Amino acid sequence: MTLQIQNLGRHVGQQWIVRHLNLHVEDGECVALVGPSGCGKSSTLRLIAGLDPVSEGEIILNQKNISHVSAAQRAVGMVFQSYALLPHLSVFANLELGLRVRGVRPSDRQQRIQAMLELVQLQDRADVLPAQLSGGQRQRVALARALLRDPDVYLLDEPMSNLDAQLREELRPELRRLVLDRQKPVIHVTHDQHEAMAIADRIAVLHSGRIQQVATPTELYHLPETLFIAKFIGRPQINCLRPKDGVITAVRPESLFFAKEGLPCKLMSREWLGSSQLLYLESPEGSLRLSCSTSVDIPESLIVSWHRSDEHYFDEDSGRRL
Amino acid sequence: MNRRTLVGLLLLWSLGPLLWQVYTSFCSDQALIQPFVSHDQRWTLIHYQSVLNANPPFWRYLVNSLIVGISSTFLCLLLALPAAYALNRIPRQLSALSRLALVGAALFPYVLLFLALLELARALNLGNQLLALSLPYAALSQPLAILLLNNAFNDLPPELEDAAKLEGLSLFQRFRWIFIPLISPATASTAILVFLFSWNEYPIALTWISDSSKLTLPVAMARIAGSSIYSVPYGAYAAATVLGSIPLVLLVLIFQKPIVSGLTSGAVKG
Ligand SMILES: Nc1ncnc2c1ncn2[C@@H]1O[C@H](COP(=O)(O)OP(=O)(O)OP(=O)(O)O)[C@@H](O)[C@H]1O
Ligand SMILES: [Mg+2]
Repeated sequence: MTLQIQNLGRHVGQQWIVRHLNLHVEDGECVALVGPSGCGKSSTLRLIAGLDPVSEGEIILNQKNISHVSAAQRAVGMVFQSYALLPHLSVFANLELGLRVRGVRPSDRQQRIQAMLELVQLQDRADVLPAQLSGGQRQRVALARALLRDPDVYLLDEPMSNLDAQLREELRPELRRLVLDRQKPVIHVTHDQHEAMAIADRIAVLHSGRIQQVATPTELYHLPETLFIAKFIGRPQINCLRPKDGVITAVRPESLFFAKEGLPCKLMSREWLGSSQLLYLESPEGSLRLSCSTSVDIPESLIVSWHRSDEHYFDEDSGRRL
Repeated sequence: MNRRTLVGLLLLWSLGPLLWQVYTSFCSDQALIQPFVSHDQRWTLIHYQSVLNANPPFWRYLVNSLIVGISSTFLCLLLALPAAYALNRIPRQLSALSRLALVGAALFPYVLLFLALLELARALNLGNQLLALSLPYAALSQPLAILLLNNAFNDLPPELEDAAKLEGLSLFQRFRWIFIPLISPATASTAILVFLFSWNEYPIALTWISDSSKLTLPVAMARIAGSSIYSVPYGAYAAATVLGSIPLVLLVLIFQKPIVSGLTSGAVKG
């Protein structure tokens, strides 16, 4: 029971929206799809769901090629970014519609929806219209609808992007409990890298329609394959030193430390981040970011250094790791 | 000028003629000409009696117009709803082109077509058939109806349909559960416009129907107005006007809420 995507692509007119996409998601595994806005994350999910036609490549679900199967026939549970709840139907009716058209008997429906509402803790909101729910509650209804479908693969398109940071953090474990326990492949789209690292077993970084790297969060952080990933993963952003002989050296802000010898720097400004502080430095190698503990006293000019093992090298032209 | 007088003037402007018609319909002919007759001769139901007892009675025309109005509205919506939906799913350029053509068709003065329509009616033997009248009516209202409904479809978030597809709803089920309920305000206001058109239409009804028991309201009214060359039957005509507008008033009262929300939908997304 796995989802296998081979060389998937879709073009509109002359333009490829997604191309050469290869991904393999095991049962019970959650792969986060991250990337900047407009890189094709939603388009990828729509291809897997069968909402857009596949131009090339294959989608194989449980050893069956579903590339050209209609959306209704693919057992796909999707949570949309906008939740896509029907505004004129109550929560209960929203959940019931799918069961009804799939021919579940009324008594059966009632029971399954009750159980599902309890699972997502919305028992007392069954007769309410979606407009009367809070963002977090709407998200849970959308999730409940996907769960009731009992699909073979879950596709979550930025399910938490409409929520504030605190609620997002609260709902993360809940999402794990509800979706990941189903032992089905899960693809979770997000632009929040913290969320991706917290939820996903592996992260796929998408950039202008191509997957750049698929790896575990630690791998991605320590061994980014391209400069784009190095910059995209990890906050504060990685430091890039002046290119030398076509090679860009990059060092993470948390790898920098104060030393007796090294790079002389001038403090430009500092940001207070609670548990740490971020220093903006000016050096002969360009501007640098350094994060350190808040207890340290910072002089105006200082010398920073780092271990050679913490350096990442990238080709200046292709951005590939060397 | 303050706001209150402005509103008062506007009301007078739009309601004045209507009220005058109502007044005239209850006034005896004498009282109309001589404003100062005594009260017991002033008010009368004679005009209503005369139009309702005429042969054929006036309600016959009301029923005829209702039949034509309802059937043409139904036919028009039946065709316009799928067309408006399809207009959103075809390639963008084709859709823009079709919309342009529809605007052109909607703006085309249909009176220019009526001779050709008459020829068609003759050739296809559609003369003197009430239901046949709903064919040109539905067709002539089609462009505007499609455009209005298409706007309503445009305002719906596409994810609603996508989610329904994933839930396994067929096209028909999506219409039944999503589109019909969600665009019902626009459908109601479109229906009213189509109904009004067929309720008021004159030249086609005049030329297609000659059998006096099958006339629609406007033609019948014109007959009442022109029934004599020596006098104008103001009272009877006013009574006919009042009777003829009652169904419309009822219709608007019933659908008031959806019409207003339909006319303003798209202004604010929600
Ligand atoms: N039907 C379409 N026709 C033409 N271009 C399209 C179509 N659908 C998507 N695109 C283009 O494909 C690109 C990817 O869109 P997509 O919605 O997948 O981005 P995304 O990664 O989900 O972005 P976001 O994070 O903002 O949601 C965009 O540049 C978009 O303009
Ligand atoms: Mg998106």
